[in-house]
Amino acid sequence: MVTTASAWLLPALPFLAFLLTATLGRWLPGQGAGIAIVLTGAGAVLWAPLLGALFVEGPQLYQPVWFTVGGDALHVSYIVDPLAALVLGVVLICSTHIQVYALGYMGGEARFGWFFAVVALFTAAMLGLVLSASLLTLYVCWEVVGLCSYLLIGFWFDRPAAVEAAKKAFITTRVGDVGLLIGILLLFRATGTLDIPAIVTAVQQGAIDGGTLTAAAILVLLGAFGKSGQFPLHVWLPDAMEGPTPVSALIHAATMVTAGVYLVARLFPIFEAAPVALAVVAAVGLISAAGASLLALVQTDIKRILAYSTISQLGLMFAALGTGFLPAAIFHLTTHAAFKALLFLAAGSVIHGTTRQKLDELGGLRRSLPVTAFTMLAGAAALAGVPLTSGYFSKDEILLGLLDRSTLLFVATLAVSALTAFYTFRLWVRAFLGPDQMHGHAHESPAVMLGPLVAFTVPSLLLGFLLFIPFGPSANIIAFLAGETGHPPAQYAEIGSYYHAHHEATPNGLVLGTSAAAALAGAGAAWAVYRSGARIRRRLPGAAVLERGFFIDALYRWLTTQVVMRLSAFFAWFDRRWVNDAGVNGAGRLPAVVGGALRTLQTGNLSTYALAIVAGMALIAGIILWSGR
Amino acid sequence: MTALYLLLPELLIGGLAFLVLAADLLLPARRAPIVGWLAALGMLALAFFCATWWGAAGAMGELYVLDRFALLFKILALVMGAIVILMSLDYARRRLPGAGEYYGLIVFAALGMALMTGATELLTAYIGLELLNFSLYVLVSYSKWNPKSNEAGTKYILLGAISSAVLLYGLSLLYGLTGTTNYAGIAQALASGTPSPGLVAALVLILGGLGFKIAAVPFHMWAPDAYQGAPTPIAALLAVAAKAAGFGLLVRLLAEALPSTLPLIGPPLAAVAAATMVLGNTVAIRQRNLKRLLAYSSIGQVGYLLVGLAGFGAGAAEAIVFHLAGYAATNFAAFLVVIIVENRTGDEDIDDYAGLAERAPFAAFALTAAFFSLAGLPLLAGFVTKFYLFLTAAQAGLIWLVAIGVTMSVVSLYYYLMVIRQLYVVAPIKVGPLPMTATERALLSVLVVATIAIGVAPAPLFVIVRSAVAPLFG
Amino acid sequence: MIPLEAVAGLSAVLFAIGLYGVLARRNAVLILLAVEVMLNAVALNFLGFGAFRGDLTGQVVAIFVICVAAAEVGLALGILLRLHRNRQTVDIDRLDELKW
Repeated sequence: MVTTASAWLLPALPFLAFLLTATLGRWLPGQGAGIAIVLTGAGAVLWAPLLGALFVEGPQLYQPVWFTVGGDALHVSYIVDPLAALVLGVVLICSTHIQVYALGYMGGEARFGWFFAVVALFTAAMLGLVLSASLLTLYVCWEVVGLCSYLLIGFWFDRPAAVEAAKKAFITTRVGDVGLLIGILLLFRATGTLDIPAIVTAVQQGAIDGGTLTAAAILVLLGAFGKSGQFPLHVWLPDAMEGPTPVSALIHAATMVTAGVYLVARLFPIFEAAPVALAVVAAVGLISAAGASLLALVQTDIKRILAYSTISQLGLMFAALGTGFLPAAIFHLTTHAAFKALLFLAAGSVIHGTTRQKLDELGGLRRSLPVTAFTMLAGAAALAGVPLTSGYFSKDEILLGLLDRSTLLFVATLAVSALTAFYTFRLWVRAFLGPDQMHGHAHESPAVMLGPLVAFTVPSLLLGFLLFIPFGPSANIIAFLAGETGHPPAQYAEIGSYYHAHHEATPNGLVLGTSAAAALAGAGAAWAVYRSGARIRRRLPGAAVLERGFFIDALYRWLTTQVVMRLSAFFAWFDRRWVNDAGVNGAGRLPAVVGGALRTLQTGNLSTYALAIVAGMALIAGIILWSGR
Repeated sequence: MTALYLLLPELLIGGLAFLVLAADLLLPARRAPIVGWLAALGMLALAFFCATWWGAAGAMGELYVLDRFALLFKILALVMGAIVILMSLDYARRRLPGAGEYYGLIVFAALGMALMTGATELLTAYIGLELLNFSLYVLVSYSKWNPKSNEAGTKYILLGAISSAVLLYGLSLLYGLTGTTNYAGIAQALASGTPSPGLVAALVLILGGLGFKIAAVPFHMWAPDAYQGAPTPIAALLAVAAKAAGFGLLVRLLAEALPSTLPLIGPPLAAVAAATMVLGNTVAIRQRNLKRLLAYSSIGQVGYLLVGLAGFGAGAAEAIVFHLAGYAATNFAAFLVVIIVENRTGDEDIDDYAGLAERAPFAAFALTAAFFSLAGLPLLAGFVTKFYLFLTAAQAGLIWLVAIGVTMSVVSLYYYLMVIRQLYVVAPIKVGPLPMTATERALLSVLVVATIAIGVAPAPLFVIVRSAVAPLFG
Repeated sequence: MIPLEAVAGLSAVLFAIGLYGVLARRNAVLILLAVEVMLNAVALNFLGFGAFRGDLTGQVVAIFVICVAAAEVGLALGILLRLHRNRQTVDIDRLDELKW
């Protein structure tokens, strides 16, 4: 019988798979890939009864003793609540499918087994992160996840670009983690514990002064922004596309990058008590959502376009969190995982079938890759927010929250939606319609890759309807995430879990209508401009615009190519020159400059060394006397 | 003096040292590896013997104490000494011919470490410290015909003598103020009364003298030169064992003799810790010689340990010893790879490590694991121990210092990745596999496994460390 | 009886002279000599404080300090001799092969 107490099995199974594959892999058939898939799949199968157990038992906290030292017991505590349960499912299902896909995509690679070992370790760490009810285990898993990301981006370590991208991703996210760790230690200092429930209780009782709390929350946010590729720590995510495509799908789209969103959701009571930090969440989220959707416009590499769209969608999730609508953020996280995994896998299928990934070199693939074309259309529709797809409904929940706060933010987010629809459909139209640029050389992917594609199509299209049907004992998925599972609120409060009754779940007509209009306008513009195979950065002279008979068509062209694309190009320049080169890389060079200066002290001369000893003692004396005043 | 039997471990170590020297005299020079094996196995046996005494306790008058702390450091000293000898076997065979007494000196160094961490009296501690230092002076300059080794030895002994004089002058002032050289007596005498200028001077001189031994900034300048010039196994001995013993001495001194002065020395220790972390980790970026890079990175590690001293208390002492143990396994693994490569090829520069993953996959993997551990990545020793160190410092309110430490960990990741990139990405300049001896392979495996084991399951080691530190704060 | 202040003062002066020598000299042997002066200051301190308090410890420590100092000088001279044989100099300004 599966109870919520057996949740520890979920990370344990893939971890076992990692151990087996990493140690015995070379003697196993398929280098151990089968073991990784079967054990992760077993976890996915276990997840359904676990969810059932959660419906029965309500949210639970478990604190088994790991070891005792002196009288102090160290717990490895884990929590099973609606928030964790849903994200566990997302991770398990995505990971299983993507591993199956990788069987085909990575076939014939050297270090095939190593790939599956690291993916299994990643899955285990991600599940551990989601289950953690202690900041210690959460941070450990957080770092392991980052390490796996590094190893996987740099999987093809004979490609210099991949190695540079891996290093950049690792170090950029670690910069964010500096903030996270210091934030954790601040919370520890203020409360004397690393247990999330205890910290949440302390916060709710007002045991931490406001300044410390705000500082700790903002520091924790740095970690979340780094991991989730939010401005200005987003620079690593597009480069991370140098990794194998299944990795991009699993880690840099569906799961790991959502860890930042999950972290803020897990610690949400802390952020509720620190309004300034919450405002930062919203602001950074919106900046990232808008900025990344502009940056996506000037990209021509299909994976990089998807990477920017990930930053943008994660920004929307943060915006939802920042405006206090946690269930909407997590619901969008779920649908996003489905359709973004689908899009990446479809992009992988295109790359696999054509060995090209520049949009300008593609076109007319609908005949040679029919399954990929259809499934990717479903994913694109969901990302664009075409009515009735999953992305449409989950984005509407976020829009609903924004409309509640400010009309301006609502309108801005609608514009982001329109841009998203534009570049997403441009990608699809450009790749699959228009003249065939491959002259029949493209081929459809094997069944092992198409299976997961088709499998992801279903949730991409249908997940949105969870809004309208009961989810276990809850009225719908939003109510489930808000904690309305028929269990007393006290049960939530006791374990520091999120409970918030009375969430408006059904979008109103205004939101539904404007959102649909934005998506369709963007998609229509893309179709109008690119259906005949126009190049991405083509500039149209005014006369040529007027020659076209359709005024709408011309207006679209002018708007998109002259206004939006130029704006986008400017932002891309700003992002590259100032945020990436001057900001992130510049800060990265600082230690080397300091080191170069300090190095000159080491003259090699013994007298200098002796003098340093004397000077050091004088300084120590000075500090003692100064601090003793 | 009824408790003379408490000195049995030290007497046995000393006996082993003389036995090793005698064996060196009796055996022909080409038999030197036998002397090495004798020393290594003898030290491991003695470490096992000390472990069987675990839980025994007793004091020899006011001079010397046998408690779990002392026993743990005896075991550490012996095991670390044995590891250094095993690392040296092939190195000495090729580069230090007829090096029997070299092994004897390492045993003496271990004896010095045992003495200085077991002493409860200033003079005894000082004698132990000098026994360690004298052995190291000779060992650093052991490559007689290598001018670099000469230069390293000269710098080390001259600066070491200066710092010893400084330390001793501080101790003499402390004796003048308290009228005793016994730790407990000093603590008692200092417990009451306001700090005098004499006390401040004594503390400054003691911190300066001991800061030199552990290579804290700005007393660190000897270290990179000595590491680079010394035979590489001796650099490992300096970086790991000597430093561990120095911290063992400091922990006992602060806990038993100077607890009342902690408010005075906390701020300067925090400043020294900050300077040490920043200098060690930033200057490491600019190094082209891997031995020097390791020297600066271990200066950075000293900075982390100093964070513990700055917020000193029972928890911090645990964290320091814990970090020392994990750091030892990790850093020895890194040094062993450097020794293997240098011994076979004579190469020390980072550029020469290009393509090591092709030439010696296991060595490259071990170096990567060690560097990831030093950078504090999880599932490896360095993460757990450093996390605990920072946790106790945060509890002591030193958040700003922890912030520097965490930032510098990221900086360190940068230069470690720089080396790892050489190992895996850059095409090798020289080709052909790089073999290692069975001993080296076994030792490297043990060290890597220890690094991972401490990272994955730190509990057993932590239990030992906590019970070892407890008597100091009884 | 000589006042304690005089002993401590003399010791401090000796120590300072030694320290000055360490910093100012360029010849390794002279630096060693200066260190000896510093160590003598230490021994004097221990003797003075011990005598003043009527405690034997000070004298014991002083004897140890003298012994250790002798051993140290022996060792250092040995290393300097080796250096001189290989480099034909004991000038510390010319010892800068290891730096940065």
